[in-house]
Amino acid sequence: MENKGLYDPPRRRRSGPTANHSSSFPSSIESSSSSTSPSNKPLHNPSRNARPSNPNFYRNINTNRNRDNSTLPNNHHSKTTNTHQPEEGDGEENLLSSFSSLVGTCPFMCPVEERAQRERLRDLSVFERLNGSHGKTSPSLAVKKFCRTISTKNVQASDVRPLPVLEDTLSYLLNLLDSDEHPFEVVHDFIFDRTRSIRQDLSMQNIINTRVIQMFEKMVKFHVMSHHKLRRCSGSLNISSMHHLNMEQLMKVLTSLYHLYEANRNSHTTYENEAEFCSLYVLLHLSSDSKPAGEPLSLWFRHRSPILKSKKMCFARRVLRYYRFGNYKRFIHIIAAEASYLQYCMVEPFINEVRALALSCINYGGYKLYPYPLEDLSNLLMMKESDMESFCRDCGLETSTDEVGKKFLPTKQTTFSHPKGGVNYCLVGSEFVYGESFG
Amino acid sequence: MAYVSMGEAHRRITDYLNRFSDAVSYQDGSSLKRLLAVSSDSPSLLSLSDALNVFQDASRLIKQFDKYSQFGEILVPLFRSLQNYRLGHLVESYQSFEKSSNAFIQEFRNWESAWALDALYVIAYEIRVLAERADRELASMGKIPEKLKGAGSFLMKVFGVLAGKGPKRVGALYVTCQLFKIYFKLGTVHLCRSVIRSIETARIFDFEEFPVRDKVTYMYYTGRLEVFNENFPAADHKLSYALTYCNPRSEANIRMILKYLIPVKLSIGILPEISLLEKYNLVEYSNVIQAMRRGDLRLLRQALQEHEDQFLRSGVYLVLEKLELQVYQRLIKKIYIIQKQKDPSKAHQIKLEVIVKALKWLEMDMDVDEVECIMSILIYKNLMKGYFAHKSKVVVLSKQDPFPKLNGKPVNS
Repeated sequence: MENKGLYDPPRRRRSGPTANHSSSFPSSIESSSSSTSPSNKPLHNPSRNARPSNPNFYRNINTNRNRDNSTLPNNHHSKTTNTHQPEEGDGEENLLSSFSSLVGTCPFMCPVEERAQRERLRDLSVFERLNGSHGKTSPSLAVKKFCRTISTKNVQASDVRPLPVLEDTLSYLLNLLDSDEHPFEVVHDFIFDRTRSIRQDLSMQNIINTRVIQMFEKMVKFHVMSHHKLRRCSGSLNISSMHHLNMEQLMKVLTSLYHLYEANRNSHTTYENEAEFCSLYVLLHLSSDSKPAGEPLSLWFRHRSPILKSKKMCFARRVLRYYRFGNYKRFIHIIAAEASYLQYCMVEPFINEVRALALSCINYGGYKLYPYPLEDLSNLLMMKESDMESFCRDCGLETSTDEVGKKFLPTKQTTFSHPKGGVNYCLVGSEFVYGESFG
Repeated sequence: MAYVSMGEAHRRITDYLNRFSDAVSYQDGSSLKRLLAVSSDSPSLLSLSDALNVFQDASRLIKQFDKYSQFGEILVPLFRSLQNYRLGHLVESYQSFEKSSNAFIQEFRNWESAWALDALYVIAYEIRVLAERADRELASMGKIPEKLKGAGSFLMKVFGVLAGKGPKRVGALYVTCQLFKIYFKLGTVHLCRSVIRSIETARIFDFEEFPVRDKVTYMYYTGRLEVFNENFPAADHKLSYALTYCNPRSEANIRMILKYLIPVKLSIGILPEISLLEKYNLVEYSNVIQAMRRGDLRLLRQALQEHEDQFLRSGVYLVLEKLELQVYQRLIKKIYIIQKQKDPSKAHQIKLEVIVKALKWLEMDMDVDEVECIMSILIYKNLMKGYFAHKSKVVVLSKQDPFPKLNGKPVNS
């Protein structure tokens, strides 16, 4: 029976930096036939030998995952126009059902054939080069690349890495974050791609146990940290598209992680980190019209009552409440007092936004004859006074100085504007210092 | 199960087969639909199922005569479905019913007018209900429930069949509503989007042509989606439409609509009477409304906590949380009114300390800085008119209309 287009080849080229990794994979792998209808697989597939555990795991993630161009539940429907544009991540989850009994046997971080071919094509990342050579690598340096187009028929077990190898590969990749040798965005780019390949191998083998949970938790941490650090990298167009793609991937990996928690719900272990990782979803969706795809919060909350009462979730819910209310004082103070590192990374972009809101409110409603002392303002918004001055300027507001040198913010200025750029003023009095290492 | 003799069984089955083929020949939709309602537990279908389980070889009967055998692909699995349903084998019942329905759709396509639409509605309904029961059976056996998802796919196919220029297209909204019910039950609510897009943008559909009952259901579900997405004006419009055109005697449906409409109305400052809540048993909202009338922040928090699970499950929790701003407005207004009674000339100046004290009475611990923050937000969002003086720790209200009403719009974000 013809394998219905489980995988659509991508229809648009990414503009991001990893688009450069376009060199083709070993020629035995070709793209599957595409169908014009959405790639969601037929839901009744009696020819598959479904495993009793959860054969539909990765399939379910795919259909449950929210997309902006949501697709129909199956390809039969002829009426609605197909606006489906497959995202890069499609390669990972879509392959699964054909590989219900695939067990990988590749003992290396990179399959031998791929390593040989990439040496020949001189397609080696800077981290994979043996002694800097563009054409030579080694088993301890080469890591399997993410490949978007994989035919369902031609994957060999020897090209797929089993779980222990994947775990070791992930540890190796994350250790790269400790070194200072290369700029962060270069390291990020490499790990971004290679961890996608890890997820691809996992989904091909349909492995969903608790060890996979731990791996996904680490991968989420990586993306959260990148989210935090990429904001600080010197702004070039490349970085901002990297940042955007990272957010996208973060959402996907988080969503998969939630499904993994669900799928493993019957086993006796509780996941101590689950509450924290769920709280990240809330923090990603603080603003009602926020961009990250996924269910709106009201919907997401519906069947998660137990976890919503946990400490980490209560923190996130309070942050949400303060943000939506506009309570800038409590918003900033509670983050400083209670946020974990991961939560801080997620919420940091909103801190400046809330500080700007505070200035806006004070400027709007403050008594004209009493300019607001910067010292009080700085304490209120947990900033250094010198940073406060710069920030006022970023918002188009002037400050004044009195006879004894004390600084003030006059109100009712008409030049307020939202600050552009991600200049970050740290939270005075909190422990968050830029450059905290990967935990 | 009642005892049935072979002869009697034969008679019942033949009787059904005749009714079926007659219904099709005479294009009698309302007779046909009664023959398909597997889960309805109608006496005639129950007695038929008993007969089938005795006779055991109904397919031979079907093949005997042309006027039955032409519908063999529909009837054979349909009988199997009925038998299994009667025996409590719900997964098999669903699977057979789906097979039968597939064949039915093929025939339906060929029938020109919309005479069989009622029968199609029954098929659509049964597909969903049987799938739900099948899933429950699967779950109880420790297996993955996936029949309801399959029912969704099937209904999308049916939608495709109806989405054409002919008279059958008025059936599309009913099928849409069945799909909504499936997606809401499965939690895959984002899948509603594509079918909504078809209904609202395809040129073949004219919303006004659809039956009222379906329009009400449609607006109810799309209104709920707007609530999830926190688009309050749109939610208000849709849910109000559903309420207006809902059958006034259908109290259960009115209750469902109000459950979502009330929080939406509260967000735009419109408070229902307590009697409405009592009439439709929605008393979980009564403390929330009371808190809004009194400016009682503590009561609001208590109400949210008391019914937290319920509100979270229905998806209105975040909507209700946002009401806090309005409750603050009310509280400050009360303080203003009290001050006005004591000394009208000074009423519009409220010391922040006074507000701190009022909050303390409500068991809320806040310092002056935070109170100032709240005042500044209330002013910024136009819930209060005036200014605040940081140095003298006072909020000064405008002499005219210091507490503007929302006028049917949500609070400025």
